[in-house]
Amino acid sequence: MKNPYLPIPMVVKKASVETTDRMLRTLELSFLNEEDAKAFRFIPGQFCELSILGKGEAPFGIASSPTENGSLKFTINKAGVVTTALHHLEEGAEIGIRGPLGNGYPIDLFKGKNILVIGGGFAFTTLRSLIVYLSHPENRSRVKDITVIYGARMPGLLLYKEELTQWEKRSDLKLVVTVDWGDKDWKGKVGLVPNVLEEVAPSSENTYAVICGPPIMIKFTFPKLMTLRFPNERIYTSLEKRMKCGIGKCGRCNIGHLYVCKDGPVFSYAQLEKLPKDY
Amino acid sequence: MKLKLDKKDFKPFLQSLIEEYDLFAPVQLVEGVSVFKKIDHPDEVDLSTPNPQKPAKELFFPQSETMFRYEKAGKKNQMTSMEEVKRERILFGARPCDIEAISMLEKVFVGEGDTDVYFLEKRKKTTIMGLGCNHPLSTCFCSSAGGDPFLRAGSDLFFVDLGEAYFVELLTEKGMAFHKNKFFKEADPKDLTLVKEFEEKAFEKVGYAIPVEGIEKRLDLMGESSFWDRIHEKCIGCRICTYLCPTCHCFDIVDEGEHQRGQRVRNWDSCLSPLYSLETSGHNPRPTCRERTRQRLMHKFNYFPKNFGQVACVGCGRCILYCPVHFDIRQAIIWTSPKRPKRFGGGTI
Amino acid sequence: MEERSKAIQDRIRDKAKELLSKKAVDLIIGFGEWTLPLRTTPIFIRSPEGVDRLIWNSFCENNLATYLHKFAQFKVGLVVKGCDARSIIALSLEKRFKPDQLFLIGVPCQRMVDRRKVKRAVKGEILRAYEQGDQIIVEGEDFKKALDRNNFLYPSCQVCTHRTPSQVNALVGDPVEESPLTETHPEIMEFEKESPEERWRFFEKESSRCIRCYACREVCPMCYCNECFVDSSNPKWIDKGPSPSDLEFYHIVRAYHQTGRCSGCGACERACPMEIRLTYLTQKLNLDVKELFDFETGIDKETLPPLSTYEMEDKQEFIK
Repeated sequence: MKNPYLPIPMVVKKASVETTDRMLRTLELSFLNEEDAKAFRFIPGQFCELSILGKGEAPFGIASSPTENGSLKFTINKAGVVTTALHHLEEGAEIGIRGPLGNGYPIDLFKGKNILVIGGGFAFTTLRSLIVYLSHPENRSRVKDITVIYGARMPGLLLYKEELTQWEKRSDLKLVVTVDWGDKDWKGKVGLVPNVLEEVAPSSENTYAVICGPPIMIKFTFPKLMTLRFPNERIYTSLEKRMKCGIGKCGRCNIGHLYVCKDGPVFSYAQLEKLPKDY
Repeated sequence: MKLKLDKKDFKPFLQSLIEEYDLFAPVQLVEGVSVFKKIDHPDEVDLSTPNPQKPAKELFFPQSETMFRYEKAGKKNQMTSMEEVKRERILFGARPCDIEAISMLEKVFVGEGDTDVYFLEKRKKTTIMGLGCNHPLSTCFCSSAGGDPFLRAGSDLFFVDLGEAYFVELLTEKGMAFHKNKFFKEADPKDLTLVKEFEEKAFEKVGYAIPVEGIEKRLDLMGESSFWDRIHEKCIGCRICTYLCPTCHCFDIVDEGEHQRGQRVRNWDSCLSPLYSLETSGHNPRPTCRERTRQRLMHKFNYFPKNFGQVACVGCGRCILYCPVHFDIRQAIIWTSPKRPKRFGGGTI
Repeated sequence: MEERSKAIQDRIRDKAKELLSKKAVDLIIGFGEWTLPLRTTPIFIRSPEGVDRLIWNSFCENNLATYLHKFAQFKVGLVVKGCDARSIIALSLEKRFKPDQLFLIGVPCQRMVDRRKVKRAVKGEILRAYEQGDQIIVEGEDFKKALDRNNFLYPSCQVCTHRTPSQVNALVGDPVEESPLTETHPEIMEFEKESPEERWRFFEKESSRCIRCYACREVCPMCYCNECFVDSSNPKWIDKGPSPSDLEFYHIVRAYHQTGRCSGCGACERACPMEIRLTYLTQKLNLDVKELFDFETGIDKETLPPLSTYEMEDKQEFIK
């Protein structure tokens, strides 16, 4: 019987620093064993527990898309014991993952609809997975318009700068990148995400909104979505909570009767309204 | 199948079990303190403490458990998973409340989603010999929590102390495997009458109804009630109630050792600890005792019922007996309800 | 005894009513009756009408000073025994609260009754208990027994010489004669005669029962660190499981952190569900501190605890 607590062995294929403050690092991991690679099937929005033996585990959203075969990408913010250890991993180092965990974005519901993606700061990781997936030639026709609004505090703190450049060039995807404060080289938009959303004013008709960002951004963006008449059932977000087992056994990450690891991390606002405000 | 075991055969019976199985039974550590432990000799068994401090969940969900060992051998990490249970086990002397709790934990660990192999292995390899409660304590309220002092469900064999002998009922396939045990005799009608008498007496004692029924719906309406501002006041935030509770199942996973060699261990944890939900950023969704006490009570009486259809409390009363500040969960339940039971508690006048 | 208790109880209620009516305090923390015999529970009264729930008897065993950390933002009226008041003085030296934040209602203590010892003296569950003169009457389903309270006192109470709380705002009883019932903790004297190996074996046996519930830490008024050493993960001092070395390390270090700060109230031992005899450690350390530094916790409002300061004349024979 499969032991859900045993990590799958992976190796660090590539490691790169994402942001100018060096706090965010992207690891690209490949499977050590062929069978594990074949068996690993995930959808955007799911996460894995990254495991460093001797240090511990921590949950991270999968930043790569299922369409990017072979390896998995994770972007890690250096904050504590495990994340610091992840930041010190060299290429070729061994690491473990447990996953895929969680429910992922409701891709099935998105069929035939417009998608509005709003991301802030380094919460953009699973949104990258979603955008790459939806904009892949095999999947692009499944959804109608894709609009992406992504904001960071400063230009240096934007993630996935290469992808952003590529997406800007696409005609089948509307990308608006903004920063809170520009610098002398920044030629793009300057403005807070909620204000940019108001400016872009996408239609809520037949549209699903997916929003991931720091609490302060969500606090001010959500009312704008209301003004644009997005109903709660069509606004999705991905929550985070301190996790250990990641499979709904240890009891830690619950909000009300739902577990963020097992019943989430993706929830609609309609679901969240019914839960206690304890996060 | 209804059998009996004379008291004079009790120790030889246990000895026969010890030879074939790992036998776990209540053992006294010091006067008044007992736990379930593996015994090597029948003399070690102590049934004088009504219910051991540490609940029987320990056998399936130990306080500290190595999940796997790891060793860096050359380039690759070698991981050795530790869920194997080498020898068949017997749990003797657990009360119906503890046994009902094990069934509840099964729903969490084995029920839906991923299977917790550690719990499953232990559960599969254990035969449960339950023991009925002839003398429930005044702190017991099992019948309000959906159980009763002689609940057979969950036991493979069920024992009732009749004084000179034990009445033994074989309930499941695992239990029936013992029907040829040389120490068991046929029970006679007098024994069955005696069992009935004990049952009736015990039911009467725990029959004071604590309004557990309907508590899920009552708590649905109490999310922001001032009830939570008061109920937590005397709680000091230790972990006694969660560790001694037969149904509490929260755990922590930590790595011990270094990167060359070590193990990943899971330990009991408690939602009442401030560290429990503390995030690396410093943010804590449950910053004070108020939120944590609310979480515990809501989980037991609202969230768990929503997920599994029953309250996560078996009425064993350990949290009442051992709380250092005398928090009484029965009082908390009563305060959620307009109904008050007729007779409740003793007291110091 | 119970007449004296009743008189004190009335005075506590009067004082509480006065303080709450005048709004001199936001709340009163005292003892109340709850559901189990031989026990009281901490209660929190906010209105003058509620003061009748306050009681006083030989089962008021908790050290309520521990709640000061939880209710730090309120002006609190606190019912304190001698040992509790000593904890308050120790806390004030550590600047844990503002001087006008507390109103101490001091009760000269009649020594508290050891409920576990009482339970062991009878066969069967005690359902009701009450005090009658110097006796404790316990009743069960099929028994009724009268016990002499003096045979059932907590060990820490037997040796206590500071039963009258000092430095309190109001004393609700006459000061009591300060002589201990037994000279030193008799068990400690026996213990001191044993060899180091025998003492270690005792400690090993006691700490092996520990389930890391941290009740001893939470009931103790002197344990208020935001991050306890056991919870630190960076650096990680000890593991979280019940391995013997971790259990022993926890108890030794916690006892050591109490040295010079512990008032000997015994709340730790009373809280332990596994009945670990923690006061052996604390009492022994208190005796050592008295001998080496001539210091007793919580007597003097000016002198700092010996382990948080130093003098050139400090004894050093134990440094080998």
